[in-house]
Amino acid sequence: MNESFAQLEVPASLIERARGGDLAAFEQIYRRFERPVYTLALRMLADAEAARDVLHDAMLKVFQRIDQYRNDAPFWAWLRQIAMNEALMRLRREHRTDVDSDSEQIVDGAAPPWVRADSLALERALGKLPALTRSVLWMYHVEGYSHPEIAELVGKTISFSKSQVARGTARLRDLLAPLAETEPCRITPSLAL
Amino acid sequence: MSNHTVPGTMKSPPEMKSLPEALRALPQVAPERSAWPQLAAQLAAQGIAGTAPTVLAPKPARRNWRWAVPAALAAGIVLVAVAWPLLQRPAPAVGALVATAAPVAASIQTNAANSTNTTSTQSATDARNADTQLASLQQHSQALERWLHETGRAAAPLSGQDLAAAAEIEDMIGLVDGQLNSAPQESELPLWQHRVALLEDLTALRYSSYKLAETGVALR
Repeated sequence: MNESFAQLEVPASLIERARGGDLAAFEQIYRRFERPVYTLALRMLADAEAARDVLHDAMLKVFQRIDQYRNDAPFWAWLRQIAMNEALMRLRREHRTDVDSDSEQIVDGAAPPWVRADSLALERALGKLPALTRSVLWMYHVEGYSHPEIAELVGKTISFSKSQVARGTARLRDLLAPLAETEPCRITPSLAL
Repeated sequence: MSNHTVPGTMKSPPEMKSLPEALRALPQVAPERSAWPQLAAQLAAQGIAGTAPTVLAPKPARRNWRWAVPAALAAGIVLVAVAWPLLQRPAPAVGALVATAAPVAASIQTNAANSTNTTSTQSATDARNADTQLASLQQHSQALERWLHETGRAAAPLSGQDLAAAAEIEDMIGLVDGQLNSAPQESELPLWQHRVALLEDLTALRYSSYKLAETGVALR
């Protein structure tokens, strides 16, 4: 995601107010993290309603435990971990643990298709990946988790994590390649005139 | 699907970028309906934060209560009906937590019925052993939960990582409880073993912070 940990930090005074039961402080914390948490859940689940549920459950869990939070740990790291666990639990509960086992890694000299694909096309392609493959890809490439950490989170092996990153990447390449090939043929309004 | 909040980023810049860069450049999104009104109502209802303002639409909570009260009464009646015969005999696990008492009591009752009806001495012995093991696990589970409940407030704050781990363990305990509610009798023992193992993990996690709090160390 775009925001760094530093941008997502919470002032100690705000945490203190929340500990004291100040509803406005809870709301400020919610507003600050609504988009990062929802985006994380949406990227993993590709389901707007389920992502909203994860946002709600993760926030509630954090608020219920705010008394136990120690200020020396980054707040976003804590909340992100809980949101990720919630999303993974949901995948397990809904048995959406299918993975990509078909795609092969293709290495050629051509520029990868995401170089030219726009964000909407990339989002759509991401949404077409199997749920667990997409989650692993997101955790690795965006959230910066290592393969051993991902393996522990999803309850699989390190090899599984590595293979899902490779296969997910290959699948994204397949999904975006036709778009990238046709893109140069598009006629812009200025050229059409 | 959702509201894109950074419309200016819909088109990628023309420069070369790696997949991680392309993924990180995706715009953040906000839910179509904010989760805050529901959260605020729950925080107020649970006594965590001040009373929710009237604009926060506490209707869902009210609707829940309308169902929760009769549901709780019905559950209570079923619990009494199932547990009452068991209270007449010395069964150590009957005093388990209310949340888990119904499936536990049902299991013990079923086990008891099976053991009296069987003609095989061996199977009766096995059933008794399983009952004993189950009762022991339930007692252990109850003791751990009591300790966690009693020390929870006194424990020192956990680190972010420990808190996340604790939350995950609690989730998994919730899943096991859900499975116990619908599990066939033969699956109960491994589920209870799993439940106790998870509670032990949670206890170990909490124990260190409890000791720190007791000695006044690391409290910030």
